Amino acid sequence: MGKSKKSVQIVILLAIILVGVYAVATVVFGSDEVPKVGQEAADFELLGMDGSVHTMSEYEGKARVINFWGTYCPPCVREMPALQAQWEKWSSQGVEIIGINVGENKMTVENFVAQTGVKFPILMDPKRDAVASFGVGPMPTTFFVTASGKIDHIRIGELDLNTLDKQIEQLVNAK
Amino acid sequence: MSQGSKPLIQNTKCDCGHQNPTGTVLCEACGKPLTEEAEAQPILEMRYDGVARRSQKENPGIIDRVWNFFSSVKVAIYLILLTLIGSSLGTIFPQESTFLNIDPSVYYKEEYGQLGHIYYLLGLSHTYTSWWFVLLLVMIGASLVICSLDRVLPLYKALSRQRIPKHMSFLTRQKVIYQGQVEEDGADWVERVKPIIKKKGYRVRTDGGTLLAEKQRFSRWGPYVLHIGLIIFLLAVLGRNLPGLHMDEHMAFPQDEPVHIKNTSYYLLNDGFKVEFYTEDDMPEEFKGKNKVLPKEFQTQAILYMCEANCDDLGKKPELVEVTRHNIEVNHPLNYKGLKAYQFDYDLTPILRSVSPVLVDSKSGKEYGKITLSIDDPQREYQAGEYTLTLTQSFTDFGLGDNGKPVNLSPNPNAPAFLFLIKGPELPKEGIQYFYFPKQIDKERFNQEAINAQLAGGEALVQLDVLSMDDVDFSESTTYLNIRVDKAMPFIWIGCFIGMVGLVMGFYFTHRRIWLRIDNGTLTLGAHTNKNWFGLRKEVSAILKQMNIEVDEKSLENNRGTKDESN
Repeated sequence: MGKSKKSVQIVILLAIILVGVYAVATVVFGSDEVPKVGQEAADFELLGMDGSVHTMSEYEGKARVINFWGTYCPPCVREMPALQAQWEKWSSQGVEIIGINVGENKMTVENFVAQTGVKFPILMDPKRDAVASFGVGPMPTTFFVTASGKIDHIRIGELDLNTLDKQIEQLVNAK
Repeated sequence: MSQGSKPLIQNTKCDCGHQNPTGTVLCEACGKPLTEEAEAQPILEMRYDGVARRSQKENPGIIDRVWNFFSSVKVAIYLILLTLIGSSLGTIFPQESTFLNIDPSVYYKEEYGQLGHIYYLLGLSHTYTSWWFVLLLVMIGASLVICSLDRVLPLYKALSRQRIPKHMSFLTRQKVIYQGQVEEDGADWVERVKPIIKKKGYRVRTDGGTLLAEKQRFSRWGPYVLHIGLIIFLLAVLGRNLPGLHMDEHMAFPQDEPVHIKNTSYYLLNDGFKVEFYTEDDMPEEFKGKNKVLPKEFQTQAILYMCEANCDDLGKKPELVEVTRHNIEVNHPLNYKGLKAYQFDYDLTPILRSVSPVLVDSKSGKEYGKITLSIDDPQREYQAGEYTLTLTQSFTDFGLGDNGKPVNLSPNPNAPAFLFLIKGPELPKEGIQYFYFPKQIDKERFNQEAINAQLAGGEALVQLDVLSMDDVDFSESTTYLNIRVDKAMPFIWIGCFIGMVGLVMGFYFTHRRIWLRIDNGTLTLGAHTNKNWFGLRKEVSAILKQMNIEVDEKSLENNRGTKDESN
């Protein structure tokens, strides 16, 4: 009898601990919380310039550089060549550079891509879904995501070629 | 004999031979006080009927200690107090969740100064979703569960296994007692009193010259039913954070455009928005003459659609099926299967959606044909009569960049502009470039004619013109709705209801018990209740009166135990 009492106590205490840990964890790492460095990068499902839908899981196992941009944002336009150059350098080594255009129509993005000669994949986020799930504030914002899907670094503001190169190298080594 | 110098271990066996668990105050069988403390009381403490709580153990281990911590009512009260203090801290400044779009790291400092910044840094700006607040709720829940289990099982056992004969010292130390002489045989007297007590609604059991009458025992479970209600309530509150159970979003709905509600398969369409303003005459006094525009009533004619196919395929248009429609007004939300849409705000700025200009000859005004130009998603090629118009550039918010080149200033359709290459009869073979601003205000601001004259190297031979307002399609207004889903709410109500049942059980019913024994012509009666002693006294006196024993109600009250000692 004494033994069964004890195991009942243990079961109840364990159940309470489980509920407690779960409850605290859900508020601390709540879904409306914006992902931070060290956390899992958010998911997205966006239409690409190539006409097909792309998701985050598609790039699993690859280091990712996710850049949020718009043609209406001059620093975004200025950093495009740097991203393009890095894409040329790193894409053969399993690094994906993904540009997410925020809020513009296909025509505008197409024209811009044609003009600037950007070759890396561009996705469109007309309804700002990805912007919301990544918690992007000012643009440009660039997320450096490791091959395992963790955010390694977040860069708000214009990128430049040198630091971008170092940043990607670090990302590749972080595997 | 049994209450010796080592009370911790040895006081558990009673005179009547019953073996009691550690911590028992009144013998489980005969009710004799076991501890020295209980022995010393003139009136017995009847809490939990004197049975040992589950947590009372001889050698508590670590699990027992945790168990004991949560089983303590004192700890529960401290936890509740801490939670109350915590939740009141959250009301000092508005919570982050009450704002639509702020950066809390600067907002609190700007709005409330240094104190506000400290408030933010301490995490009080999101008190109710902070780890410590949730932890407190969980601990209250743990305390509720453990307190209940700790008491309810022993109490259940004690009440369901009550023995009828009680020890003399148990009866004489109740708060309501009577002692007196009866002429007849004890068993006969008891048989005679039985129907009288039964008539008062008691359930009566007898054992020779002893009797136990009891009513409304279920009220003893009131607190525990309340606890169950509170536990369901707490679980529902904690469960609200689970994905899909709770949503509280403020969304914009431009007219005539179905908008997807995130994380659901619903689309909501603003099918028309009406707003009525107060005229100067029927404006409330305090606003009169202040040149204020006050809306009297506003209403969104909403249609809710469910997506049936192509929902997740971004490349295709989703197939929508109407499920319900409702005119949303303040306090009259749309409500469909737990999805609620509340009127929240509106914006009467029209948004241009598409224009259908006609290509005309600049000189003769001859019309060649009409094209329809979507602002948001324009096509690449248009045909107007024999003329082809190729869209080479489009802008949503036209402006000039640092280098003097046209750029987009924002993704919002503030100043849409389109650059066409027009080819056709009488035009140069390579075509002419033509800049088109659909909005009249932009046409003037950016001087469309001058730009086009420059592009054509003279006056443009053809031009795009909107002939009537019928050729302009715009969303007249945008309504802002607060979309809410709260699937945990039914559980909150169920919890509240069960809690209320428990409160009613505990507050409006009283557990009353009357014990009596007759030893050699001496009747000893003790009665106990958890509240309304006055009513119990009255009932006992009425019963005795029917047995021809006249007693003053007040004299039934145990006078601090002094009266019974003399007998």
